[in-house]
Amino acid sequence: MVEPALRLAALTKRFGALIAVDAIDLAVAQGEFVTLLGPSGCGKTTTLNMIAGFITPDAGSIRLHGKAVEPLPPFRRDLGLVFQDYALFPHMTVAENVGFGLRMRRVPRGEIAQRVAQALDLVQLTGLDQRRPSQLSGGQRQRVALARALVIQPAMLLLDEPLSNLDLKLREEMRMEISALQQRLGIATVFVTHDQAEALTMSDRIAVMRQGRIEQIGTPNDIYERPTTRFVAGFIGTANLIESREGVIVIRPERLKLCPPGQEPPDVRCWPARVERVVYLGARLELRLRIADSTQLLAETVNDGGATWSTGDMATAWFRPEDAWVVAKE
Amino acid sequence: MKRPASWSMKRPAPWSMKRPAPWSVKQPAPWSALKLLVACIYLFMLGPILITAAVAFNQDNRSYFPPRGFSLRWWYAAFGPQWMQPLVFSLELATLVALISAAAGVPLAFAFQRYNFPGKSLVRAITLGPLILPSLVTGIALLQFLSLVGLGRWMGFWALLIGHVVICLPFSVRTVAISLAAMPGNLEPAAASLGATPLAVLRHVTLPLAIPGMFAGMIFAFIHSFDDVNLSLFIARPGERPLTVAILSFLEFGFAPTLAAVSILSMLIPLALVALFGRFVGIGEFLYQEAGNG
Repeated sequence: MVEPALRLAALTKRFGALIAVDAIDLAVAQGEFVTLLGPSGCGKTTTLNMIAGFITPDAGSIRLHGKAVEPLPPFRRDLGLVFQDYALFPHMTVAENVGFGLRMRRVPRGEIAQRVAQALDLVQLTGLDQRRPSQLSGGQRQRVALARALVIQPAMLLLDEPLSNLDLKLREEMRMEISALQQRLGIATVFVTHDQAEALTMSDRIAVMRQGRIEQIGTPNDIYERPTTRFVAGFIGTANLIESREGVIVIRPERLKLCPPGQEPPDVRCWPARVERVVYLGARLELRLRIADSTQLLAETVNDGGATWSTGDMATAWFRPEDAWVVAKE
Repeated sequence: MKRPASWSMKRPAPWSMKRPAPWSVKQPAPWSALKLLVACIYLFMLGPILITAAVAFNQDNRSYFPPRGFSLRWWYAAFGPQWMQPLVFSLELATLVALISAAAGVPLAFAFQRYNFPGKSLVRAITLGPLILPSLVTGIALLQFLSLVGLGRWMGFWALLIGHVVICLPFSVRTVAISLAAMPGNLEPAAASLGATPLAVLRHVTLPLAIPGMFAGMIFAFIHSFDDVNLSLFIARPGERPLTVAILSFLEFGFAPTLAAVSILSMLIPLALVALFGRFVGIGEFLYQEAGNG
């Protein structure tokens, strides 16, 4: 049996009375990209810091490629880390930053130069090796941090919100780039973020965390299409959450359709609804609806030049039964 | 054809700048008042120095301003043994004080900045206390202490060394602490994750980044020691007097042009030192508190 790159078992950390990480289990396969996603304070960063060795767990185990690493200090764990603020050494050049890990490993000088050049090539920073971090743009610093973490060929890569200091455009570019790089190198990666778009676009699997526990773990598709708890449904994307006797019915706004009364297709569930507000989003339209028992719903349609709606219109809101599901009330 | 890189820079040509020249703007009263105040401050800072420098060129042994006649003899006198001996004494003392302050200041700053230990606030208060305590008081206290414990024979160089380290240490502790505080919090974890042992982290990351603070602290300590008169007055003794004390005792005979020349010399030395070190390490951030903005 192939050991997973990382296996956390019943990992726990308390800070005084607060249980920051509550007995979580997680396995990251070779080459897999797993995201810890959650609001601030959910324990995702604490988990990452325990894997990296900066925080000592109170209980549970951390195995890297089958080897228990809890007794090892950070500098013996052989992990590549990228921090939110990049943490580049300001007194060193780009080349010295990238070569730092190799220097600590007493790799011969010539080999360091060669591997640093390769790493800079990998992140498309060839020619900037003599710059100082202060002379680089945010995106370039990000790449240097990535090259510095990868050049040591670590057992796995840990990314701590590495994109949150970049502006939107660059962030979207770097998402694709990091994903592509990770797949090319086939390196197991744990990525920590509170940004659901990052999680959905980059991950093989997402672990949604809340109050120190993993609430749900699955592929981006699973997490979005079939959230198992009310929290996950509300945290990832937007969702209509309708209280009912069996539990909470979850319908994504883009799966809730609108048609003139009586024109709904056969075999669908429907409610009579009144259009309360139309929000114009350019490519999409957001329709705020009110159905009979005064519940408010949100429907999202593509602005494709079809039916137009205005405030006060009476309509039928419908959905296919397979597009809705029920989660527990909590 | 490939365009030169400079073409792509969208910097406006100087003549296209729309900003009006500052003097053409009619400024409200508070601004002009502030400008006047600043001008006065500079006048009172630089004026006396310029007058002193001019006085040193008088022909006769009287301090006229503007100087009457022209002579360099007071400058020759300033370089004579009567002044060179205390000057060299002051330089030796200040150099040693700077070195000891740095050697003790770096570990102290680390302790205050990075560790919690019982009695930390007390130790810190004692270390930094001389910053707010008049050095006159420190001088009297040291004088009494040394006589009480029977170390009166230490008066002179050794007592001065102890006293000056006490009053100069806070400067080096503070500047090193600023260096440490300004360091981004993730640098050391990043180095550790790359395989650096705690000792390697200290050597390759922490210390190199604390060095500018250490040098700035040494310069401050040197200047503070070189300029001190309050404390030195009590524990100097004939033959072991810093320049400041020598100047003060000479004042009993009136303000002679020699004194003007000596004063200018004693001012130029620290100035040259700051200029010299300023080229190698940025001490500006410690003088003007810019460290936090970087």
